[in-house]
Formats: sequence, C-alpha cells, structure tokens
Amino acid sequence: MRSVRLAVRLAWCNLRRRPTQAVLLLLTLTLATAMFGAGMALYGSADRPWDRVWAATDGFHVSAAYYRDRDVDRADVDLDAARARFAELAAAPEVRAVGGPWTHLYGLLDVDGGSEDLTAEIRDAGRSAVDQPLVTAGSWLSAGSDGVVLEQGLADALELGPGDTISVQGHEVAVRGVAMTVSRGRFPLSRPAQIWVTPATGETFRRIGLTEEGMEMQLRLNDPDDADAFAAAHRDIEAIGETSILSLETWRQRRTDSHSDIDILAGTLFAAGVLVGLLTVATAAVIVAGRMAAQTRQIGTLKAVGVTPRQVVLALLVENLALAGLATLVGLGAGRVVAPRLAEASQTVLGQPETPALTWGRVAIVAGVAAAVVVLATVRPAVRGLRHSTVRSLASGARPPRRPGHMARWVATPGLPLVGVLGLRSAWRRPGRLLTNAVGLSLAVAMIVVAAGLRPSLARLDAAGAASASPGEALSTGAVDTLYEQVRAIVLGTAGLLLVLATINALIIAALAARDSARNHATLRAVGATPRQTMAMLVVSQLGASLLAVALGLPLGLGLWSVMDGGDLPPVPVPTTTLVAIAAIVPLVFAALVTLPARRWAHQPPARALTYE
Amino acid sequence: MSAAGARPIVEARGLTRTYSANGVPLRAVDGVDLAVEAGETVSVMGPSGCGKSTLLHLLGGLERPDAGEIVLDGRRVDRLSETAWSVVRRRTIGFVFQSFNLVDELTALENVELPALLVGASGRRARRRAVELLEQLDVADRRHHLPDRLSGGERQRVALARALINDPLLILADEPTGNLDSRATGEILRLFADLRSSGQSLLVVTHDARVASTADRLLSMRDGAVVGHTHLGGVSPVGSVLAGLADFGDAEGAR
Amino acid sequence: MRDPILALLAKEPAHGYEVRQRLVQALGPPGEGLNPGQVYVTLGRLEKAGLVAVEQVGQSSHPDRKVYDLTAAGRERVAEWLGDLSWPKVTPTDFHLKLVAATAAGLADPVALIDAQRHELLRQLREVQEVTLAQPPDSHGGLLLEGAALRLQADIRWLEVCEQRWLEWSTR
Repeated sequence: MRSVRLAVRLAWCNLRRRPTQAVLLLLTLTLATAMFGAGMALYGSADRPWDRVWAATDGFHVSAAYYRDRDVDRADVDLDAARARFAELAAAPEVRAVGGPWTHLYGLLDVDGGSEDLTAEIRDAGRSAVDQPLVTAGSWLSAGSDGVVLEQGLADALELGPGDTISVQGHEVAVRGVAMTVSRGRFPLSRPAQIWVTPATGETFRRIGLTEEGMEMQLRLNDPDDADAFAAAHRDIEAIGETSILSLETWRQRRTDSHSDIDILAGTLFAAGVLVGLLTVATAAVIVAGRMAAQTRQIGTLKAVGVTPRQVVLALLVENLALAGLATLVGLGAGRVVAPRLAEASQTVLGQPETPALTWGRVAIVAGVAAAVVVLATVRPAVRGLRHSTVRSLASGARPPRRPGHMARWVATPGLPLVGVLGLRSAWRRPGRLLTNAVGLSLAVAMIVVAAGLRPSLARLDAAGAASASPGEALSTGAVDTLYEQVRAIVLGTAGLLLVLATINALIIAALAARDSARNHATLRAVGATPRQTMAMLVVSQLGASLLAVALGLPLGLGLWSVMDGGDLPPVPVPTTTLVAIAAIVPLVFAALVTLPARRWAHQPPARALTYE
Repeated sequence: MSAAGARPIVEARGLTRTYSANGVPLRAVDGVDLAVEAGETVSVMGPSGCGKSTLLHLLGGLERPDAGEIVLDGRRVDRLSETAWSVVRRRTIGFVFQSFNLVDELTALENVELPALLVGASGRRARRRAVELLEQLDVADRRHHLPDRLSGGERQRVALARALINDPLLILADEPTGNLDSRATGEILRLFADLRSSGQSLLVVTHDARVASTADRLLSMRDGAVVGHTHLGGVSPVGSVLAGLADFGDAEGAR
Repeated sequence: MRDPILALLAKEPAHGYEVRQRLVQALGPPGEGLNPGQVYVTLGRLEKAGLVAVEQVGQSSHPDRKVYDLTAAGRERVAEWLGDLSWPKVTPTDFHLKLVAATAAGLADPVALIDAQRHELLRQLREVQEVTLAQPPDSHGGLLLEGAALRLQADIRWLEVCEQRWLEWSTR
C-alpha cells in the first residue's frame, strides 16, 4: 500500500525532527511496559522450583492436617478420633500411597532474645512413600541418632547447619541435617518453625514438656488431577470439633498459595505499571494534540507533496506504534532482568527462582498494554482525521462564539483586565485542547494523591507491625520486615516515579501550551501588547485547565487509592490538609511551569515567531 | 510630496542586521538609509532573500538592529526595550502581514477592537470604531466569524482594519497580497489607493509589481542593500501608455 | 485596424461615426485617444479593396452621410479573421537585442538599462491601474485594461529575471 509507505516515511521524518518528544514518550512507555514485564516475569517464578521439589520429594496430592485451634486457649485435642478419620481417608480406593499420619509436638525453640513456636514432626528414619523431605545439607534422621533435621528456612534464619545444636525448651539436640519440602512453607514467613525428629527424640521432647497437638497425613492418588474431586468428596471429615481443626488441602492449592511474597511484589508491580500506563496515555494525548495543531499549519506544504490529512494521522499511528513496539521489547527485556533479582530476595521460593518462559501470550499482554496506550492517545484525532478528509478536520479548531462576542463589554466592566478577558476567552474557545490538557493534568494530580497516600500508609503499617509483635516473635518481625522492605521500596519507588512522571507530564503540557500560543502572542505584541501582558494571558488561559485538572484529579486519585486499598496495605484516608495543599500548589506550580518556556520568547523581538511557518 | 520643513514619519540611518547561518554571518540588512514622508507611499522591491522583510521588521521594532538608528515620529526608537516598543507600536504603527496573523480564537470584530482596547479606549468606543472600519472595508457582515471561516481577501481586510483602528502614523505592510488571489489583490490595491488619497503614510514590501507600482517612491533592494531609488509619480518619458493601447491591427496603427 | 473595423460592421450597416462609437465602447479609456480620422481612412481603404460597400444617404458626400456595409468578400474575410489564431508579438526581441549589443560593444551597463526599463514599465503599470480604478469593474474596457496590466507584470517579471542573469554574467 503506497499509503503505508508514505506514512512510514512521514513518521520517520517526524521522529527525526522532534526527537525529544519521541524520547520522552518512549521512556514513559518503556517504564510502563517494564513494570508489567517485571510483574509478569516475577509472577510464576516460584513455580518451577516448587515443581522440582514436589517431584523430588514424591510430593502429596492431598494433605490432611489436624491441629488444635490456636485461638482457643487450651483446648482438647482428640487425636484418636483424628486417627480414625485419617484411616478412613487412607482406605479410599483412589489412594495409591500414604505418608504418615505423623504426630506433631508443639513447644518452644530457644533463640537469641526469646523463643519461637516450634513444631516437631515425628518421622521414621526410613524413606516415606509420600513427602520425603529433600535433604540439602547433612543427612536424614537415623534410628540410632538423636539428631534432628531442620527445615531449610529455619536453618537459614538461625544460620545453623549439620553439626550445630539447637535448644528446645532448654534441652539441647544436635542438628543432623537440613531439608526442604513442599508440605512445609519456609520459615519465617511460614509459622511455626518446623523440625523433623525420630520417635525416640519425640519421647524426649514429651518428657521435657512438648505437647501432642496435631497430626498430618499426606496422600498420593492414582491420578493427581483427581485431587480436587477427592478433597470435595471427603469434605465431611473436616468437621471434627469446635476447638480443633481438620483440613484437607490439594497440591494445587498449596502450589498457588506458596509464594505470597512474590505475589505481593508482582501485584505491586502490575498496579504500578497500570498507573504509569495511565499517565503515559495522558502525556501521549497531549503530545499528539500538539502535533496535530502543528501539522495543520503545515498542511499546505504537505498537500503540495501529495499528503492528505488521512495520511498525517496514519503517520502518527505508525510512529507511535513503532515506539510502542520498541517499548515492548525493551520492557520485556528489562522485566526479565529485574525480576530474578527481586525474586531472589523471596523468602518463600524453594531453591533458586526461575523466570518462567516467555510465551507469545505474555508478549501479547505487554504489547497490548503499549498498543493500548498509543491507541487511546491517538483515537480522537484519528477518528476525526479519518472520517473527513478536509484540512479543517485536523485543526483542533477554535469554537465560534454562540452569541456575538462581548469582549469589549467585559473590558468595560471595571476591574476586569484585558489580559484576563483575553486569556479566558482563548481558553474557552478551544474546548478540545482545554479538556485534553485538563485530563492529562488531572491524571498527574491523581498520581500525586496516590503517592501522597502511600507514605503515611506504610508508616502506619510499620507501626502496626511493631505494635503487634509479641516477645517471642523477634525473628518473625525481622522476617516480615524484609518483605515490607521490599514492598516499601517498590511502593515508595513507584510513588517517586509517579511524582516525576506527573511533573514531566505537566512540563510537556506547559511547553506545548506555550509553543502553541507563541504565534498568537507574537501577533499580540505586534499589535501593542507588552511581554508582561502576553505572559499574564498565557497564565490565565492555562488556569482553567489546571483548576479543572484539580477538580477532576482529586476525586480520581482518592478513587484510585481506595481501589488499591483492597490489598495488603491498611486503609488510610489521605489527610485533608494534603488534599488542600495539592489543590493549591498544583495550579501555582503549573502556572510557573507554563511561564518558563514562555519567558524565553516573551522578551525576544516577535519577528521570528511571526514568520515561522 | 511633503511640505518643506515637515519631518519624515520614519527615518532610518545605517540600519544593519546580521544573522549567522551555520556559523557564517549573513548581512540581512546592510547599512540601509531610508525615510518615509508624511502621506507618502514607499514600496520596497527585491528578489526573495534580499532583506526587505527584515527591513520592515526593523522599522516596526519586531526585530532589533545590530547597528544604525531609527527615528519614529521624531523619537529615537532603535534601543527601546520590548515593553517600550510595544507601547510605541500601539499608537504609531499598523502592521499588515502576508499571512494575516489574526488571533485564531477571536472573531474578526474582536481582532480589530484589540489594539484600541490596548491603548485604553473604552469598550464601547473600541467597538464602534471597529465596526466603522469593517464597514468601510466592506467586510462588516463577517464580523462575528472566526478567522478560519474567512477567505484570504476577507482576512487581509480585517487585518487592515486592525492596523487602522488607532489611526497610526505609518502602516507597514509585508507582502500584503502574497497569499491572495488576483481578485483579492485587486481589492487590496483599491483599498491602498483609498488610503493614499486620505493621506496615510505607507511602506509596502512586495515582489508584486502591481502593488509596488502604486507607490510614490520605489526602493530596490539586493543582498541587504538599497541599490535603486525611483520616483514613480510624474510623467512618463514615453508618453501615456493608454495611447499605445489603441495601437492595434496592422501596421496602419495610430503611431 | 482593418480587420477589427470590418468585424464591427458584421452586426449591421452603420455610419462612420457609429463605427467609431462601437470602437470606443469596446476599448474603454484607451479608445478615448483614438484619432477619429483614422477610422474614416480605414473605411475608405476597405471600400477600395472591395470588402465594404458604401451607400450614399442624402445629397452631400460628407463622410457622415455615408452608410457602410460588408460585401460578400468582406463577410468572407471576417469569417477568415475570426478563425485566425495568430497573436501579437510575444517576445520583447528588440530590448533583448539592445542588451546584447550594448554589452558586447561596452556601450552601456545592461543592468542599468534593465533597471531603467523596469521603472518605466512600473510607471506604465501605475497609470493603467489608476485608470482601472476609475472604471466600473465589469466593463469591456476594464477587461482590456486588466490584460494590459497583466502583460506589463509579465514583462516586469521577465526584466527581473534578466537583471539577475545579466548580473551573474557580468560578475563571471
């Protein structure tokens, strides 16, 4: 299609001529796609490691756990009833292999500065048919030895290994090995701490005061896919008493729930990506609007070379889609580089995290985000330009007054300065541009509100975490802190990023507004307006946009905030003083931004702006 | 011609303006002297790039000279600040541009009122005077239209009305017919003739011979300098051209 | 002048002064300077050539009493003339030769010659325009004047090109 080729050439010309705009757009778009890409790469990076351990340990298909309800003080535990139910379960025809039931002893582990809740699972020395933990250091339990095996996370947290000793309620035992398995989450995010012990050691523990409070059985079925049906069919065994709990879990459930910290991180990245994407749409829309206005002035020249308005719009689409494509590639790449680093700090992944393979589906999602941004930004001029083919259609034309203009009469009214009337009039007569600018700015305002809400929320979260820490949870506070640190880093980083992007967005709007009015202002100067008067007019004409932006952006930001709020951060209303401050500062700052580029040409002789085609 | 002793409306001596294009200095206007007497029409002709537009910009303060002086209505203006120039322009100079340069967001009437409001005329007076001018220029029925709904000729007439509203001492016109078709050009020529007969001083920069020939004096520019100066009024050495127009048919013509 | 006057008789026979009137009407202001005798002289010659027939009305042989009409040969000639596509002189050859000769002989600066000629043409254009302004816009005469103005413009433009070119040649 000749049209497309011409559009491509036009697009290339435009890109070369205005590299700054293209670069800016590319940057913000890449940020959005990178966040999305990182979120996607992160989400699911725990899956392969989990699968590997599951396979290596002959992992369960259905797990049955019985334990006392810890919210109730010292309840009765009916282990025999539980054992009977377990036997029933194990006897089901679908069951191919059984591990356990294993008794759980509860007690306290002595650690620096306090104690940790501890579960000791009593196991045989031999290999279990289901859920045989994977030993990563040292060796498994042995009948002749008293040594215990620590869960991997516990060992890492206490920095212990084979040969070391631990103290359980004052009694010292040797560490024989370290192991990991899918039926146990990693300490410290998963509580209580877990060790495996021989029956003999179990006896010792009973003597020193640990209590029998639960048991667990793991099953493997003939067909792993039957697990959900099986669990559903046997739901009735779950009701066993008011003070204790018997629950069934399938391997798929456990797999999904096993990486909560990565989920939080990925979720945060997605949300951040959406916000940045929205802001990019606003920025791109403003750039596009400015571009269309400029092209309209050149339409005579363009027509002479055979270019129609339709082709101008096509060129715009081509140009921006090319940028979107580039942003997709870079974003995907960046995401895959960043994600493993984030995942490494995870405390739930069993072993090394593995970024999932890049499927076409994933590429399509990120590309879709980028393309959506572009399309949303160009939809308005595109629709107009493609529907009509006249020159006029491209111009964000001024709207003629419905009634004869009363400018002179307004000026006659005492107290209304000419510049004020002129400024308001020019803004009012270009409703399209006013709206575009206002919407663009309002998104920026919304982002500022969201950013403003994030900091106090995090502070409140930290305080809550610290307050609820009981004496024995020294380690846990530290562990959760690490997760919070990561989330906080991302959240604060996003907040900062949003502020920066909001500022860039406002700068672009301001620069384009100033540039678009340069010619008009040169004309006004030729007719006798002083530089101060033209600057004042510019500020007044932009005032409408910024006030509208504040009116739209504040509720939008609060709305966004309450939506994000459904997550793990506690609901904190953005303080009213902050809102008022934003409402006052944004228009002022924007007015100042607008005068920055204007100042440069306002005091220059107007000839250049007048004759620039 | 001007009465003896009356000073010229504008006088320039040694005007120079240099640009640097790719590091090479380019003398757009090179030591130009000129004067426009009261009631006179002066036209400046020359090939494109000869500096005639720059000269006009300099005379109107839209551009700063690098050297030389400009005396406008007896007052030195070449070193004025932007603000001071704007104030001077309001009352003394009216511009007419090739690309009209009307404010897009204002109607024709509002465009014309604008300079009057800037000098502080009351709203009512400004409006009245603006309507008067628009009627004189035969474009009053389009007064509430925005510029993009006007034809080229109409736009230029609105621009002329805007230039005239404060009774300027001097009209500076830069290629006023450059973007107009033949018919609109004829209209503008007629209007300029009316202006001339009402005693308005006019400096026109143009490459259109029709416009240039209406002047009393013609300056030719080349490469930034004035290379020729002719009076166009007065009797032609060849006699009336009209007689020659009746020269038709075979060799047995009137001559 | 012969063919146009012949054609002006094609509508209907006319007195000499009527022919002149038709002529002046068609020409507008340029026609005002027309020598009235010229018309009669031409009519006489046309009669002699057999293209026009004269009828005497009244007794005296005063030119005003004569009525002129086309003969068959005259009508043929008019038809022929209407189909004739020849156009008056297109190029200012004389002037071009003037420049070449003057330069070759070193007699004058070509640019100065061109400038002087250009100013003269501008003066002529000014005159034509002034007269045009006084005309009603839709008259035959106004149309003729516009033709004059356009041709003067074309010649002036050519002179500008000449100036540029002769300048280049002289500096080489």
